Parts: sequence; C-alpha cells; structure tokens
Amino acid sequence: MTSLSLNNVKKHFGRTEVIRGVDLSVDDGEFVVFVGPSGCGKSTLLRMISGLEDISSGVLKIGNRVVNETPPARRGVAMVFQSYALYPHLNVRDNMGFGLKVRKVPIDERARRVMEAARTLKLEPLLDRFPRELSGGQRQRVAIGRAIVGDPEVFLFDEPLSNLDAELRVHMRSEIASLHKRLGSTMIYVTHDQIEAMTLADKIVVLRDGLVEQVGTPRELYERPGNLFVAQFIGSPKMNILPVGSVAKALPVRPDSAAHVGMRPEDLKLTDPGSGLVSGKVLLSEYTGASSLLHVELPDGEIFLVAYDGPTIDADTTLGLTIAPDRLHFFDSAGQRAS
Amino acid sequence: MTASLTRRRIRIINQICWTLALCIVAIPFVFPFLWMVSSGFKSAAEIFGSPSLVPREWQWQNFIDVFKHQPFARQYLNSLYIAVTVTALTLLVSSLAGYALARMRFAGAALVALFLVSALMVPEEVTIIPNFFMMRWAGLVDTHWPLILLPTFGPQGIMATFLMRQYFLALPKELEDAGKMDGLSRLGVWWSIALPMSRPALAAVAIITFLNSWNLFLEPLIFVSSLDKFTLPLALSNFTDPYGMPLWHLQLAATSLAVIPILVVYIIAQRQIIESFALSGVKG
Amino acid sequence: MAGALPIRDTARREDAPWLTLKMREAMESWLFISPTLAGFLIFFVGPLIAVVWYSLTEWNLLTQQATFVGLDNYSDALFRNPDFWHVIRNSVIFAIGLVPLNMALALSLALALSGRFAGVVIFRTVFFAPVVTSAVAWAIVWKFLLQGEAGFINQMLASIGIDGPNWLREPNWAMAAVIVTRVIKMVGLNMILYIAALQAIPRDYAAAARLEGASGWQIFRWIIWPLLGPTTLVIMVITTIGSFKVFDHIYQMTGGGPENGTLVLAFYIYQQGFQFFDVGYASALAMIMFVVVMMLTIFQLVLRRRDT
Repeated sequence: MTSLSLNNVKKHFGRTEVIRGVDLSVDDGEFVVFVGPSGCGKSTLLRMISGLEDISSGVLKIGNRVVNETPPARRGVAMVFQSYALYPHLNVRDNMGFGLKVRKVPIDERARRVMEAARTLKLEPLLDRFPRELSGGQRQRVAIGRAIVGDPEVFLFDEPLSNLDAELRVHMRSEIASLHKRLGSTMIYVTHDQIEAMTLADKIVVLRDGLVEQVGTPRELYERPGNLFVAQFIGSPKMNILPVGSVAKALPVRPDSAAHVGMRPEDLKLTDPGSGLVSGKVLLSEYTGASSLLHVELPDGEIFLVAYDGPTIDADTTLGLTIAPDRLHFFDSAGQRAS
Repeated sequence: MTASLTRRRIRIINQICWTLALCIVAIPFVFPFLWMVSSGFKSAAEIFGSPSLVPREWQWQNFIDVFKHQPFARQYLNSLYIAVTVTALTLLVSSLAGYALARMRFAGAALVALFLVSALMVPEEVTIIPNFFMMRWAGLVDTHWPLILLPTFGPQGIMATFLMRQYFLALPKELEDAGKMDGLSRLGVWWSIALPMSRPALAAVAIITFLNSWNLFLEPLIFVSSLDKFTLPLALSNFTDPYGMPLWHLQLAATSLAVIPILVVYIIAQRQIIESFALSGVKG
Repeated sequence: MAGALPIRDTARREDAPWLTLKMREAMESWLFISPTLAGFLIFFVGPLIAVVWYSLTEWNLLTQQATFVGLDNYSDALFRNPDFWHVIRNSVIFAIGLVPLNMALALSLALALSGRFAGVVIFRTVFFAPVVTSAVAWAIVWKFLLQGEAGFINQMLASIGIDGPNWLREPNWAMAAVIVTRVIKMVGLNMILYIAALQAIPRDYAAAARLEGASGWQIFRWIIWPLLGPTTLVIMVITTIGSFKVFDHIYQMTGGGPENGTLVLAFYIYQQGFQFFDVGYASALAMIMFVVVMMLTIFQLVLRRRDT
C-alpha cells in the first residue's frame, strides 16, 4: 500500500544545508503534520517529497518505489498550495481537469471525475467561474478538488489555510479532517499553526533547523515532549521552564539527571503564598473570557504564565503556585527529557 | 467663498497658459507629419510653390505613380513580412531563453546571463563588417536572411530576452509548480502557464521588435541591392530623377504611405505602445 | 478505492530513467537557451573576434586579401589620418549638442505632463509620435522642410523678413539642423522615462514640503531633482551612447556633408567599410567605437553602484 519513507534525506542549496538528514516513515492512510518555526525546512521537505525540489542525498520511497529521481507528476502525489495556485486563465472545471487533460485521460472520464470531486466538495455551482470570481474559501476548495481529481496516493498540503481568515480556517480545517476520513488516503500537511497540527494530525513531526526534533501523536507531544524545544513549541501559552535548583526543595521526586523542570500554565493551581512549589507576585492579569492568564513574577525575576479560572485577582497580589507531581516535565542538561 | 473662487480662476488661467505653451512646443512634432501628407498630394510644380497646407489641386496621381516608379508594393510587402517574421522569431527565442534564465537552475546560468548582457552594450556597427563577410560567404547577401537573423539574435533579441526574464521572475512560482504536479513538462509549463500570464511582456516585445524591424536601415542598406528586395526605409529615398535629384512629391507620397499606417496603429494603441517603450527603457 | 485510476497507468512511460532530476533540469535549461546562445555565438562573439583580427590587417580593394600589419590601422587613425580627428570632433559636437538639449526638453515635458489634466494624454501621444516613426521618413520630411530657397522654413522666415541660411549646405547650420531634428525625433523616449520616474515618487514628499512652505521651484530643486538622480544618470548614458550610434538620420539628411561637416563616427565606419572597402581601417574604427561605448557603460555602472 501507499506508505512513505524517508531515509537520511538531505538537501543543500550550495553550501547551506537546509535539511540535515531526516528519517521518517508514514503509514498508509496516516495524516502527518510537519510543524516548526519558519525556516525550519518543513516546506522544503514537503517539496522534496513532491519532486519540486530535488533530493541532495538519502532515499525517498513512496509505496515500494524509490522516487528520488521521478518527476513530480509520476510520483502519485498531489499538492495543495498556500496560494492555491489556480490557473487564472482557466475556469474551475478546467482547473480541476487540467492534470487529467495533460495525462491524456479521455474526455468523458475526465468530466466524470471532475463532477465527482465537485460533488464531494460542493463545488458544482462554481464550475464555470474563473478563480478571480471566487472567495478565498472557494478557491481553497477548488485547490483541494484539483488534488482529489487525480486520485493520488498521497496528498501534500503546503500551509493551505494560512491565507484564510480565522473563522474560515476553523471551518476548512474540519472539512480537511472529514475529507481525510472519507478518502482514507495518506496526507502530509505543513503548517506553522500548532492548533491545526494538534487537531488534524495522526502524527506530528516537529522540525527545527532541518532536523526532526520529535515524532509522535499530538497527545504524546503534549504530554511527554521529548525535549525543551518541543515542550515549549507545543502548547499555548508556552510551558514554563525553571532550573531544577531553584525549586529543588519543594519538588517531591525527580530523576537524578534532571536539570530543568517544566510546568504547563494550565496545570498550575493557586495556593497561599509560601505553600506550594513557588511563590510570586502577580504583574498582570489578562482576562480572555474563558479564563485569565496571569503573569507572575518569581522572586528571582522569572515570569511564570498561569492559566487561571476564578474571581478577579488584582496586580501585586502575592500568591503561591502548586502542581500535581505527574504534571511535571523534567529535562536533563542537554535539554532532553529525563525520566 | 470669493477667495476660493479667485483661486479656482487662477488655476484655470494657469491651466490655459500651460496648454498654450505646450501647443507651441508641439508644433515641430506635429507639423512635419501634416506637411508630409499635404506635400504628398501636391504636384511637382506646386510643391515648392505655395506654403499652403491645403494643396491647390489634390494630386491623387502621386499615389499611383509611387507604385509605377519602382516595385513599391513589393517593397512594402517585404518590410511587412520581414517585420512579422522577426517579431514571431524574437518572441519565441527570447521567451524560451528568458524563461530558462528566470526559472531554471543550471550550472553556468549566471555566466550565460553576464555574457548576454555584455552584448547589449555593443552597437551593431561594431560587428556589421564581419557579419557582412559571413553572410557573403554563406551566399545570403541580397537576400532577406540577414535582415531577419541579425535583429532576432542581435542586441534587440537579447534585450527582449531580459525583458521576458524580468517579467517571468515576477510571476507567482506556485502556479508553475502546480503545472508540474499536473504533469506538464518544462516546455508545457512555459507554453501553457508562463506564456499566457506574460501577455503584457510579450506585447511589449512584439511592439518594439516590430517597429525596430520596420524602421531598420543600416542592415538593408548593406545587405540588399536589388530593387525588388528593398525594404521601405531603403525605398523611400529612391524616388529620384535620372540625375539623382529627389522627386519630392513622390518621395513624400511614399513616405506618407509608409508612416500613416504605423501612426494610426500608434494612436489607437498609444497607451500600450508607450508603456512598452517605458518598460524596455527602464530595463535597458 | 472506487473509480481509482492509478496515476502511473495514465502517465506516459518513464523515459530516460537514468537521468536525475537535476541533470534533467540542466539539460532542459540548455535546450531552452540554445537558440539564443547559438545566435549570440554566431552573430556576436564570432564577429567580435573577427573584427579584432580585421583591425590588425591591411585589407582593401587593392590588396583583395588580408595581410597582417599590427597596429598600423590604429596609428593611421590616431596619428596620420586627419579625417579621424575631424570625425571624432563632429561626434563629440553632436553629442554635446544633443544630450543636454534632449534631456532638458525631456525633463521639462515630463514635468508638464506627469500630472493629470485634460489633454495630457494627447500631448504625450504627440511628443512620442516621432519615436515610432522611422528615422528615414523623419529625415526625409525635415530635409524637405529645410530646403534652401524654397523650403518651408525659409519661406516662413522670409515672410517675416529673415533671410534664412541654406540649412543643410553650410557645415555649422547642417550640424545644428541635424542635432535639433534628432532631438525632436527622440525626446519622447526620455520624456516617457522621466514621467515614469516622476510618477514613482510618492506624492507625500511634495505635500510635506509644501506644508513646510516650500515653493514649487524649491520642491523641484531639493526634492524632485535629487530623487530623479538615478534616472538622469541612466538617461544621460543611454542618450550619449545613442548619439554615437546615430547613422540613418545623418545618412538621409546630409549624407555626412557638407564638407564632411556632419560626418560622425558610425557614418565614417560605414563609409570606410562599405563605400571605400577599406576593411582593415574600418574595423579599427569599429574597435575604437566599441571601446568608447564600453567605457561609457562602465562609467554608468560604476556611478550607479556608488549610488546604491
């Protein structure tokens, strides 16, 4: 079936290495999301899988074929671009059917498949319009439709929702999720938005500087981040990190190698000053509706973020913070998870 | 209220003064065309006689004699088909090369671009002598081949290449990527995605190339010697009496015939044409 | 999946599977660029090398073949043939007359026509019209207007009591006539470039200066003119190079005369090479022209780099 694997894949432009040896395997039907800060190489990696960028070294397999040197159109992949990349001079029908036409699919077969995709995506009323006559969300759907029509083995999405407004983004996110459920195809999705990553993915790949930081299910990444980078990258607001030394006395148990301890803002509870793990003074309380985000200054000047749900707390209030022991994350001096 | 009224009045007076000044400056730009046409309608006797813009007697015969004096229809056709051929060839060749320079990665691309740019700096007068001997060696003197090949591949063609390159660079790249994902070859992407989106640049190249070929003088002068192979610029000064003195009434009638169609097209499409020149001028 | 047509079935067969994507791309690039490159080598690089060789040989109607004479042709031009310096003098006069006149007029017209008022398009169209007209046609008409006794210009002058000169038969007047008519023919091009540059200047600058009480002239002198600097430089060099290349205009209007009074470099090359068949000497002249134009271009590039 259509699994996909990368084996020590590298990419360099001239002297600069942008992908520095990536190993990854994607199972058939899996929804994999690449996340990472901008410049981490996630889009480049996706374009290497698509064939739009060549692979400097390593092996890329789609199914059982090594496709390093296979032109994009023969890899059995389809791509949805950030800018949608709809041909401005073709209407929706021709945009969706273009790939089939290039591949010399007979005209009636072509029409049938375009109609089928249009029905799936509710695009039938738009078939004769031109891209400039469509809204952002409609263009997005046409772009997805174009990918579906070719019936690819693997779908590639390159930040497909980043040009949409917040509301549409949520809507399209759920459409993509249901599309995946319906088609059951392998999908690889690039985003810098961790909410998208968490909600869509079967498996998240966190990238930084051309290297994989961690691969895992959204729950694994959130609950057992493999290192400091992932710990702070996944989850919002960011995880609070302290040197173990500063709270050593108050810590119940800890691994011997632990150098840093991390606490998620939403895991912290308020107690009286002096009790609990740390104490501090409230600098700022940001009310967000569902809860408040407290900025708490610790005695040594560190700022702790705390998600808090309760009556208003004024600035300058001193309070203590505590946390369930199983919600503590320990990292060794190299930043790796310690257990 | 009154203050704004006087200000408005000053502005209007200002406007009128400017317009008048511009009209006076425009005289040497417009008058030659008017005088050319008017004199083309005058008889040989009247042509130096009266300084009147309206001929005493409209001499339509001039426009018939023009075709009798030399194979002017043939020469007209030569200019036309050469200009069309050069334009078509230039569009093809320059958009191919411009696309490669803009979009494709290959070792030596920068060097190739540099070499080509250097050719832009060299006037064709510098290379015309060896080109003449090469054409003579190839048996192409007194044919139209040099008039087609030299402009297509000379500085003009290279200028077109860079104009196209500049335009391709500004096109959204993801569209071409989508084309590749859809299974287009490089040639396919160029033809069915890059070119359809580059109409303004193609139009600019076409306009400038056509006009250049239509107005080309040095090359025809050097390479062509038979009357029926002449192009318009050569033919125009060839309306002379047996002693070599210009037959002005015929010369100006012929010149009118050569210039008017271009001017008409220019006036209809002046915006597009002027923009084309601005585009190429800024890059050059 | 239902209705699935695996892509590989419909795709064309894998041709040349031994090619890597990178090699494929490089190969296609060279194919795309090969017509231009071939033309460049045949019609430019080859001739450029040949003209260097020709310039080192004695080759004319008498010798009928090329004999190597070293730098003789160059020293002929530079030290022995008085015509050469006369031609250079003419070319320089032509440039010195044409370039400032052209640029001043172009800038004035651009300033007048960069705004939006009724008729602006008509005026732009008018001033640009000679640019699209063939130089030969333009020269023919002006030659006609500038005829001695019976020419239109002189008749007009006579009617207000001025006895006009025989413009194209007196060396100094001929040079002036050629310069002025050439300026009228080409000024539209520079005008357009200046208009484009003026329109690229944000209106806020002038508005801000006006609020601070600057007069129209002060705004031009201290804001517009400095911002036009790069454009002025480019226009100056393009126009200067263009003035050294002028040929068709002079060929038609004066034929280089009278008394070689309008014999400029490009014309001189043509005359020596194609009328007197002194190929070696003409090639040396072409090389000299090449060097002059090259120097102007490099001068421009250096100035432009210093600017940025």
